Amino acid sequence: MKIDPVANCPFNNENPPCGDVVLSSRARLARNLEGFPFVHRSTTPDCKEVTSLVHQICEGDDTRVTLEWVDLDELDTLTTEVCVERHLVSSALANATHPRAIAIGPELSRSVMVNEEDHIRIQSIRPGVQLEEVLQDVQALDLRIEEVIAYAFDEQLGFLTACPTNVGTGARFSVMLHLPGLRIIKDLQRVQNACEGMSLAIRGYQGEGSKVTADLFQVSNQVTLGYTQEQLCSILANDFLPRVIEWERRARITLHQTQTSKLEDQTFRSLGLLQNARLLSLKEAMQSLGNIRLGICMGIIEDIGIETINQLFIEIHPSHIKWKYGTDLEDEQISTFRSELIREKLRK
Amino acid sequence: MYHDVHIENGVHTTLNLCQEHALEAGINLGQIELSIILNVDTPVSETQQVITCQDCGMTIAQYKETSLLGCPTCYETFSEQLKHVIANVQDNRTQHVGRAPATASTDVNRHLIVRRLLRELEHAVTQEQYEEAAVLRDELRKIHEGGSIHEN
Repeated sequence: MKIDPVANCPFNNENPPCGDVVLSSRARLARNLEGFPFVHRSTTPDCKEVTSLVHQICEGDDTRVTLEWVDLDELDTLTTEVCVERHLVSSALANATHPRAIAIGPELSRSVMVNEEDHIRIQSIRPGVQLEEVLQDVQALDLRIEEVIAYAFDEQLGFLTACPTNVGTGARFSVMLHLPGLRIIKDLQRVQNACEGMSLAIRGYQGEGSKVTADLFQVSNQVTLGYTQEQLCSILANDFLPRVIEWERRARITLHQTQTSKLEDQTFRSLGLLQNARLLSLKEAMQSLGNIRLGICMGIIEDIGIETINQLFIEIHPSHIKWKYGTDLEDEQISTFRSELIREKLRK
Repeated sequence: MYHDVHIENGVHTTLNLCQEHALEAGINLGQIELSIILNVDTPVSETQQVITCQDCGMTIAQYKETSLLGCPTCYETFSEQLKHVIANVQDNRTQHVGRAPATASTDVNRHLIVRRLLRELEHAVTQEQYEEAAVLRDELRKIHEGGSIHEN
């Protein structure tokens, strides 16, 4: 499998819709095969059987669902970890030892994970606000899989999943938000309240259990039952996002009017750090990139594109550094190469 | 149960005491079950009986450990217990709305039906329900010979 991180960044394309606040949109459908135990109760032959059944989706010539099949046992650890950092593969799937696979679209934004917590996890990620588009992506794959697989389904509970938190549609929609303005004016509680009112969960960059880094937040639907996929998508896209985008933009305007010097100082300090440091931890680099991103959105920095920062958010992760500079790097060497990569990208 | 391994000068002494005797021996086991001191038998209620999923062997206690069910049939097996869990995590919504899956191709259905029949056959043999087992065997034979499939 060939991965080109420059050409295929899930956070990037030309001017993604509302890209100043929203890095990416993602949809995920959880599905299971009728007649098989769920993955954590499956034997190795069960898992093999499931992978061989799902493999059929890669056959045929339907270009809407062109996928490349990759057995994770045959994929080297580093490439697997690169896929994890690109959100194509979950850590749980990467670290498991049972037979498992992924089917990946050529643009590396759609994937089908096989034998994760559920037999099938279909997902699509696109830059900016593109929730309806990612819904269409996963629906197309879902229909294709349905042609060859009998899904576990119940009239009352819908698609049956290993965990009852996914039962019903099995659909999870999420957006990655950059909210530095609301953090600085101490108004993040408003976002939290909106999430609670709409049964949405708010988490850090890496999803469940992760800490907030670089003012990046992931928001997703908590409920999966009792709504259609379209309704769940609409709650996030039409009820939640317009408000939060508006709040963040207003917060940035307020900051620009009341704290210009402070904001400029923060931006140029971060830029100075990233353009000169020789050892950079992931945490420090992420936070500084977040500050620079805000500076770009507010017109304080004009000669660096927002897409450079979006791309760096992913490329500075350890496995991407190893993938680019060498597989046997120690932690300190990773920090060195991380600073080198960032200097190169942010060179005047 | 109280279990203690004491090592002194390289000599192992193992002490195993039931809760009652541990109390008598003055060993503090934390929270004390009054029924032991008062010697009252706690009646085993119906809900405490272990229900096992006939398809995957999962029990509700195992579910509580992992929060993951064992197979699609578990939803039916543990429907009573899951009713509250689902209402709780799904904002009191209990009815699916929206699309249902289309019927998959015959080949895969055939594969899954064979699998299900084999499981039912195994169950029937274990339960010594030989008449039922014979019916299932005939059905399997028919499928292998390329006959039609009547899915219930």
